[in-house]
Amino acid sequence: MDFIYDIFKNWAAQGYLPSIFEHTFMVRGLLAALIIGPLLGAVGTVVVTKKLSFFTQTIGNAAMSGVAIGLLLGEPVDGTYAGLYGFCLIVALLMTFVKNRTRLANDTIIGVVLAQVLGLGIILMIVVTSQFNIHQVEGILFGSLITLNDQDLIALTVASVIVGILFAFNFNRFMLASFNRTLAKARGLSPVFLEYLFVTLMTVVVVSSLKLIGALLVLVLIVVPAAGAQLVAPNLRWFVWLSILFSTISTASGLLLSGRLPVPSGAVIALVSSILFYGALILRPLLSRGGPNQGEI
Amino acid sequence: MCGTDGHNLLEIEDLSVSLRGNRILEDINLQIKRGHIHALTGPNGAGKTTLMRSLMGGMPHKGTIRFLFQESNRVGYVPQFLEFDHSVPITVFDFLFLMLKKMPVFLGRRRTVRKKIEELLAATDCSHLIDRCVGQLSGGEFRRVLLAQALSPKPELLLLDEPASNIDEVGIRHFEEMLINLKNEQGITILMVCHSMNMISRVCDAVTAVNRTIFYDGPTKGMDHADLLQQYTFL
Repeated sequence: MDFIYDIFKNWAAQGYLPSIFEHTFMVRGLLAALIIGPLLGAVGTVVVTKKLSFFTQTIGNAAMSGVAIGLLLGEPVDGTYAGLYGFCLIVALLMTFVKNRTRLANDTIIGVVLAQVLGLGIILMIVVTSQFNIHQVEGILFGSLITLNDQDLIALTVASVIVGILFAFNFNRFMLASFNRTLAKARGLSPVFLEYLFVTLMTVVVVSSLKLIGALLVLVLIVVPAAGAQLVAPNLRWFVWLSILFSTISTASGLLLSGRLPVPSGAVIALVSSILFYGALILRPLLSRGGPNQGEI
Repeated sequence: MCGTDGHNLLEIEDLSVSLRGNRILEDINLQIKRGHIHALTGPNGAGKTTLMRSLMGGMPHKGTIRFLFQESNRVGYVPQFLEFDHSVPITVFDFLFLMLKKMPVFLGRRRTVRKKIEELLAATDCSHLIDRCVGQLSGGEFRRVLLAQALSPKPELLLLDEPASNIDEVGIRHFEEMLINLKNEQGITILMVCHSMNMISRVCDAVTAVNRTIFYDGPTKGMDHADLLQQYTFL
């Protein structure tokens, strides 16, 4: 990885990039932002269409327990991948299973599981923080460039490539299955399988972005860029590309600002993302032609 | 015209569906003739949509469902509604692209597909809607777009779930004409859930009235509307 960092450092030294990129952690953060940002933006369009916004928040909150479980199982303090991915996937699949097996509304199931993972997370955090470095835990909660290491960047890259390919390949199917299950079946799809697949992909991308954005704020990058794009996009193609653009701008510029300010990266990314959303809201009458969101401001 | 009139396309024998211990459908025996428009009617909660879902393989059931296809082996389905956020910017073009193409809609080459989608929409008189958002369509426009998607690839059997709901009288008449054309010109067999006795008598060849079990099954010609409605009332 060092040769990649050196390229960025040289560009920074020659004045092509801000001087802050002479620091390895900033280059690492920028690479992470440029990889995960577009993917979060793309996945967000399906999340918004399927009305799964708070599902992602539950996954983020489950990450607290995931980190703690990883540490208690003996994973290294800077690499609790099994605990993190394992627990979050179990929670995501459990919620989908309960939804498919009952007639409970989505938000009811999310409310029930959110309460459970928060309760468990708080208890496990108290146990864990008495034994381990609290900064790792804070990094997961709020996002931290300092705690993002090479291992995280590799894990994030591998996860993003796999998720990106599977997501793009199945995008039309995910959308179609969200419209009407019987219609999806009539078109030869398996809506239940597609639901489990999408939830799995979404969970992997959310968990991969936690150290950059933070468990408490990951919802922002899934929902806000897609919501902003929804306001101005005239069709589905623009919806996806604008969401990707907003998400990438949010992560990259938020990261640059957080490198200059003594605040967590996730918080700055969230604020930049919100500014873009309100910008889209204000510019909506100019940008949206024939879209479905032409109401009065 | 395709197919052979008078022969069954669909045969249902002793079909029963139970959900959480409740019998939704019981002893359903039904034949749908090839080239017919067949209505499925009955009070709300009678099990009509459950029967449709059973035909699509989406509902566990007892009994036999037999499709006697001769051509495409394909069932087209027109749902009553779509369950998505109507503020999401999905145009009619996008909606049909999702159905017809594997290439993600945000990567696909739109020009090459556009012509095909325009032709498809022209079959249900709605090619002018191609750039309109699905969430903005009126009930009648929306139903014609849904019918267009069900026609590609060409089905042998078309299932429609309450096609007359949320449509004004002009829209219903237009839709009826299209169904009759599909039957007469393309030989497509149609089974539709319908509450409108007027629509049933205008376009359907046969009608089956269901309320957990079948309480009427026969041709629409000579059907006594008042008697059927009275049976609804006393069920």
